Amino acid sequence: MMSLPRLNTILATCLITTLVLWIVIPFAMALMWSMVDPGTSWSYPDILPPALSFERWRIMWETSSLKTAMFNSYSLAPVAGMIAIILGAPTAYAFGRLTFPGKGIAQILMLTPIVLPGFVTAVFFASILVSLGFHSRYFAILLGHVVLFMPYAVRILSVSFSQVNNEVVNAARDLGASPFGVFRAAYWPAIKPGLFAAYLIVFILSIEEFALAFVIGSPTFTTVPTILYSYLGYDFIRPNAAVVAIVLVVPNVLLLIVLERLMQSANPANVSGKG
Amino acid sequence: MPDLDIRNVEMRFGGFCALSDVSLSVSSGKFITLLGPSGCGKTTLLNIIAGFLHPTQGSVLINGKGVTSLRPENRDTAMCFQSYALFPHLNVHDNVAFGPRQKRVARAETQSRVSTLLSQMGLDLHSTKLPNALSGGQQQRVALARALAVEPGLVLFDEPLSNLDAKLRDQVRSEIRSLQRELGFTAVYVTHDQAEALAMSDEVFLLNGGRIVQSGKPRDIYFKPKTRFVADFIGAANLHSGPINSGAMTTPFGPLSVDSPNLSMSTVCWRPESAALGGPLSGVVSSAAFQGSYLDVFLTKDGETIRLQISGDQHLEVGQTVSFGVPRDRVVIIEDTDTGQANA
Amino acid sequence: MPNGLRIILLLTPGLGLVMTLMIWVLYRAFAQSFGLYNFNGDDLLTLSHWQGMFQNRRYWNALEWSGYIAVVSATLAVAVAYPLVIWLRRPFKGSFLLSALIKAPYFVPGLVAAFLLINVISYHGFVNEFLIWIGVWDQPVRMQNDKNGYAIIGLQVWKQLPLAFLLLSGAVAAIPDNVLHAAQDLGAGTWDRFRKVVLPMTVTAMQASLILIFIGAAGDFTFQAVAGPTRENSLATLMVTYQGASYSDWNGAAVIGVTLMVLSLLGSIVFAALVQIVAKLMERV
Ligand SMILES: Nc1ncnc2c1ncn2[C@@H]1O[C@H](COP(=O)(O)OP(=O)(O)O)[C@@H](O)[C@H]1O
Ligand SMILES: [Mg+2]
Repeated sequence: MMSLPRLNTILATCLITTLVLWIVIPFAMALMWSMVDPGTSWSYPDILPPALSFERWRIMWETSSLKTAMFNSYSLAPVAGMIAIILGAPTAYAFGRLTFPGKGIAQILMLTPIVLPGFVTAVFFASILVSLGFHSRYFAILLGHVVLFMPYAVRILSVSFSQVNNEVVNAARDLGASPFGVFRAAYWPAIKPGLFAAYLIVFILSIEEFALAFVIGSPTFTTVPTILYSYLGYDFIRPNAAVVAIVLVVPNVLLLIVLERLMQSANPANVSGKG
Repeated sequence: MPDLDIRNVEMRFGGFCALSDVSLSVSSGKFITLLGPSGCGKTTLLNIIAGFLHPTQGSVLINGKGVTSLRPENRDTAMCFQSYALFPHLNVHDNVAFGPRQKRVARAETQSRVSTLLSQMGLDLHSTKLPNALSGGQQQRVALARALAVEPGLVLFDEPLSNLDAKLRDQVRSEIRSLQRELGFTAVYVTHDQAEALAMSDEVFLLNGGRIVQSGKPRDIYFKPKTRFVADFIGAANLHSGPINSGAMTTPFGPLSVDSPNLSMSTVCWRPESAALGGPLSGVVSSAAFQGSYLDVFLTKDGETIRLQISGDQHLEVGQTVSFGVPRDRVVIIEDTDTGQANA
Repeated sequence: MPNGLRIILLLTPGLGLVMTLMIWVLYRAFAQSFGLYNFNGDDLLTLSHWQGMFQNRRYWNALEWSGYIAVVSATLAVAVAYPLVIWLRRPFKGSFLLSALIKAPYFVPGLVAAFLLINVISYHGFVNEFLIWIGVWDQPVRMQNDKNGYAIIGLQVWKQLPLAFLLLSGAVAAIPDNVLHAAQDLGAGTWDRFRKVVLPMTVTAMQASLILIFIGAAGDFTFQAVAGPTRENSLATLMVTYQGASYSDWNGAAVIGVTLMVLSLLGSIVFAALVQIVAKLMERV
């Protein structure tokens, strides 16, 4: 009994070390691969690359389609986040503040995009687009992302709406506030963190999304994940893939840290909104 | 049935001392109460007796044997939790049957215990319901039945009536007491309600700031408080300070006779209902509230206020001067220090 | 405005849009698997695409493979997450950092995770070099694209562990200390408290984690394409192959897609039922 805390500490230390190595080593290797000087090569039995430079980054930026892909990804994500919130907010309001028959079922149905296999959705969404003769890949992927990720936004927002204090709403009405005044006094403070969190989660998921972007976009419309996939596929160019992997993961991790903060203020009981 | 002995128990949570030097003993089959304001360490002490917490110092003896190394599951105790702590996934019947099944009581015996307890608690009709389908009072009674179903030698009650409405509280209170007499278990009962403590217990232990400040029979605790804290916490009390000369203390209301030798400085206390109209003391009525069986009167004089509770058939007007007396044996000398409240 | 109409109006842009598109997509998959919307010939309600697939070895192999990966990944992820969750129930020194590290892979996109793993396990990657250096192996071992799919399973567990961890720790944290104390007080030891209180109170979370991981792993494309054995196909990679430029067999792809959804549904039902049964049995013994 008495040695239990010590055993815990020992176990935890071992596991933490393993996990840190498990995370640090792969990322360190990716970083090194991205900085292998194109003039030299890093191969067996060198432990570290013979020469490090940002040359690979410069080449990727100037000659590959990474720039276009980043432009595409970062022009899809903010718009998708915006539309998902605007379209999802009324549903979230109904889920969070109203009671109506069939609400439980409606809330479960809202999860359909999450449980359907992503590639099935992507392929048969593409099939519908073919039939309709719809050719704008940007708008097709945008619509897809809005629908796929709206459930996450709705879930976060409905929690926010449910936390709006009824007494504050009534007090504001009582004091003769206009509908806009009631919104500003009672709703806005309660839902603001939730709104930002919902926006961020759609943004992040849209940047990461691969299935739709791949099935609908390829080969002409590239996003960061599809370009990464192309470097991992038949022509596996490890340093190029390393550059793209870092471009994909670093901004998202930073945004996710912000998101985690927001989620805590949006709903202290909620551990994480992703998933 | 077991007796319980707690010796010099101290409990620290980090730097905070929740219990210090607590000693008490309960003889077999007795019903004792731990009384004290919220946060004084009552639940902590129960948790130590049950074995959920290990005291940082001191020992707990059940039937004369030290139980410090005995795990809770092997102690002959059953706790009735303040928060009920019912198993939400089991229905009422299975909640109550949990203990007997765990202790491998024969099936028929388990069945008969459960149904007896459920009908005693008036829960027969709810035996297949899940706990969250019950009202607070019903859940409280399920918790009680569940604790009693293992037929423990020592039952620990943590404020078991706190969530019942006044009428149900009286009913369950007398139910607990008669079950205790019938089954004969030793009981440690925690409450912050002084009326409950006085009404139920063989002995009351009054806690404050993690220490026992006074213990004794309800009557003694009530009429012979030792400190200002005890006097104030249990019922209403009138207090005066000053020297005592030839068996009396001079107060703004007149001379109060005290059974004591001469003292240069002391504090005395008496209960409002000890006073009777007519006597050497007098004051001006500042308020008088009719309470049915008694009249609650506040008297002032020279900026001091005292309280009197006299028979309800009397009439007093605000502003009227009243004379009254307090029997000498109802005036007790108390220690007017704050030691009881200090947190070591 | 009547309340019903108001609610319908509120739900239309969100739930309405999502359901319209999802139902349309589902209908399209089913319809195409039965020969409708045939882009290569006449629309004809027929079972021939199903029959064709049923005679195709690659279809059965992919079904078996996806099922295998999904069952093993879901079971492993939950089997690893559950003890961790129980262990980390009470905070202790370092436990916060530990759970943050366990959750970290959730923040890494699947493609990046696959790339990182390949770097580590490739022929001259970190693991091989390290094991040769400390003398465990004489020469590098080929681990990438291994034929048992250990790389994929490892990736799935790594990526999905956080989900199971989050769901399960939510459920375990919701068990009040006093309920466990009550069980202990009534004579339940550590093992009894686990099977009679903790397990039944976390059954739902366990079912949810198993189902979500199963569905995710059964529908996997990325890990299979990047780190899977080259001879095998998952249902998703096979479906994309059929739909892609070289075949353009949308109806065949639809058969595979519907199969994937049926597999997901059946897997969910089986897992949910199994967990329920095991929990009930454990409570009895
Ligand atoms: N696990 C703990 N850690 C730190 N402080 C505690 C713990 N449990 C109780 N305390 C503190 O000990 C004091 C006594 O608590 P408790 O025994 O629950 O009081 P009560 O008399 O109301 O039942 C309180 O101040 C409480 O904050
Ligand atoms: Mg308490």
